[in-house]
Amino acid sequence: MSLLLEMMLKEEYRMHVNYSSRTIFLALPMFICFIAFGMGVSLTQLERNISIQELLTLTHVGMFLYGLSVGAFGFLGKTYIERRYGKTNYLINMPALLPLSFKRTFLGMYLRDVIFYIFLVLLPALLGLLLAAPIAHFSVISIGGVFVGALLSFLIGVSFSFAVSVVYTRSVKAFMFVAFAFIALVIGYGVFDLYSIEFLLPALAFQLSLPPLTVAYGSAAFYFVICVVVIVAFTALATLSVRESINGGKSRFKDVYPRYYDRFAFAGSYQTLIAKEFVDLIRSGTIGKMVFSFVAPLVFLSFSTWYVNYGLAIPVGFNTVFYAAMVGFFGVLLYSWLTNVDLSDYYETLPVTVPKVIKSKLLTFSFLTVGISTAFVLAIAIINGEMQLLWLALPVLYITSTYMVVATAYLTGLSPNSFLFNPEVLVKFAVVSVLPDLGLTILSFSLSSMNVAAVLGIALVLGILLISTFLFYRGIEEKWARTSFP
Amino acid sequence: MQAIVVDNLTKDYDGVRALDSVSFQVDEGTFIGCFGPNGAGKSTLLRVLTGQILPTSGKAEVLGHDCREEVLAIKNLVGIMPEVESPPSYLTASEFLYFVGKVRKVDDLNAKIEHWLEYFDLSEVKGKLCKDLSKGTRQKVMLASSFIHEPKLLFLDEPFINLDPLYQRKLREYLTKLREEGRTIFMCSHILEMAQRLCEEVLILNKGRIVARERIEDMRARGEDLEVVFMRLVGRTDVAAP
Repeated sequence: MSLLLEMMLKEEYRMHVNYSSRTIFLALPMFICFIAFGMGVSLTQLERNISIQELLTLTHVGMFLYGLSVGAFGFLGKTYIERRYGKTNYLINMPALLPLSFKRTFLGMYLRDVIFYIFLVLLPALLGLLLAAPIAHFSVISIGGVFVGALLSFLIGVSFSFAVSVVYTRSVKAFMFVAFAFIALVIGYGVFDLYSIEFLLPALAFQLSLPPLTVAYGSAAFYFVICVVVIVAFTALATLSVRESINGGKSRFKDVYPRYYDRFAFAGSYQTLIAKEFVDLIRSGTIGKMVFSFVAPLVFLSFSTWYVNYGLAIPVGFNTVFYAAMVGFFGVLLYSWLTNVDLSDYYETLPVTVPKVIKSKLLTFSFLTVGISTAFVLAIAIINGEMQLLWLALPVLYITSTYMVVATAYLTGLSPNSFLFNPEVLVKFAVVSVLPDLGLTILSFSLSSMNVAAVLGIALVLGILLISTFLFYRGIEEKWARTSFP
Repeated sequence: MQAIVVDNLTKDYDGVRALDSVSFQVDEGTFIGCFGPNGAGKSTLLRVLTGQILPTSGKAEVLGHDCREEVLAIKNLVGIMPEVESPPSYLTASEFLYFVGKVRKVDDLNAKIEHWLEYFDLSEVKGKLCKDLSKGTRQKVMLASSFIHEPKLLFLDEPFINLDPLYQRKLREYLTKLREEGRTIFMCSHILEMAQRLCEEVLILNKGRIVARERIEDMRARGEDLEVVFMRLVGRTDVAAP
């Protein structure tokens, strides 16, 4: 196992270096260390607005969610296997050729990700806090406690996500049951206040039993054991549930492509490509994952904002325009899914260019999301009694959606997953997404108090986004025309 | 008229020279084979000529179109069988041929799809997704997709490698027919015996450079076969038959 793990870690490192370069990749942990240092030294300032306990709660929720995203690779297991004849091969495919069990290899992959991301994110953050300790007068014991607590939240997130994603590969119904049970638990805390957040995040309970908040080592030890049991249980469940062999689908399908081709006659020169995108999305099951990954954050967002407004009784002006802007920004996830359905190297044999394929994916994105996002914003407007804001919310929705997805396509081409690991691209992406997002959020909050000025401000931001969208769209041709298909 | 004109073509990958100042011309209607040891630059040459990758320097033209500036024009005119048989995972064989036919604006498409499905016995796998097909069957799908528009010029990278003897023979017969019709074929292969039967000329590459350009007839007249010439030219006279 140790040799396999060592090889997998090398593979993961080389894969990431391949996305950019060794220097740029290694700059990422240094950047995280710098940010942690900055946060450490400015903690006294932060404490004026937020308590240490709230800050720790946010840290733990963040680490848990980060763990969830890292552990979701179980969803990709089947995809890895099915792509073994493509350009890229992974060690996860080795059980097909060598006397290695798939469970063991999958466990190796899990441990690889845990170790890799601890070194990439958690340890640099710890180093940053330790460097800030002499300036901010932190005790090293407190920092150690925060690190262990955050690590436990991260591991609970990874192991839970790992287990749930394996459940998904075995039964979509069971997965839906687990997902709804999880949402019910969150609602039990957030809406009905049936238990404290420590019930959901035992690592936070461990944290809150330690300095600088309290000194209750007995309680800390108890919660530590609970956390370890939870992590081991999820990991064991996932490992034992992994199918030893993932069989390729052997079903037969009716030829539907010609029907889809006819259906998209209005798409002009994109007809052939868009029809193929839709057949791919449906046959690969990606359309379900896409809808889920679009709708789930929307539901989560609605719940969180509702909780802030009514649960915590903090009167923040979340209105329909705010939601419309947020929906627009979630579109990036969908573009990422669209580029990840299948390898595209066969396009090299056809008179088709990379920009043409990118643009066909952008059109597919529009066809997929216009209905769902409009319905969501409409529903929010009805629930909040804000139908009078729809005239503004809908343009905000359509323009931010188009802007975000076109900007992502311009920056990352057909490989958003790879390029967003490149810190250089990531910084550009952060700038093009965060600035307008912040602007629209602040202006949407101001709608009730300074209507005309806020509307004019929103109109100005939308105007800038429209021009930027046009420039990015035109730039796709120039930037990607001479590149090969990934 | 020349179908392919290559002048001083060089291609570097991350500091590694895959093609080194390669120059040659191929007349229309010629069946030329490109040979060389692993890593000699055969597939790189084919990928540059078909506009899949850009050269580092030098010039290449295919059917009068520049490989750097007129990639779409070239891809419209030629058929390409790539080294890796990778039809799209979630289409069936007939759907993929329909897709290719529509992209290439092929006339009488349904009849041509039926013809190629029958030619390669792909009707047997009707309804199966390409990802679930065997390597050989996927190779047949890719071959059919490169033939369906009846191109003037074919670029084939290891077209025989995954096929069983029956289909190797069938493909050989089809390529012979194309040669007799005066089509141009540029084929990279390691199967020297097959190449000797099919090709009129051979281009031998070693370490990114052309080390020989010969007519098969001339070779035969000297009493040599392609294998002997190949071994001598790539400097591996030590590799003897068992």
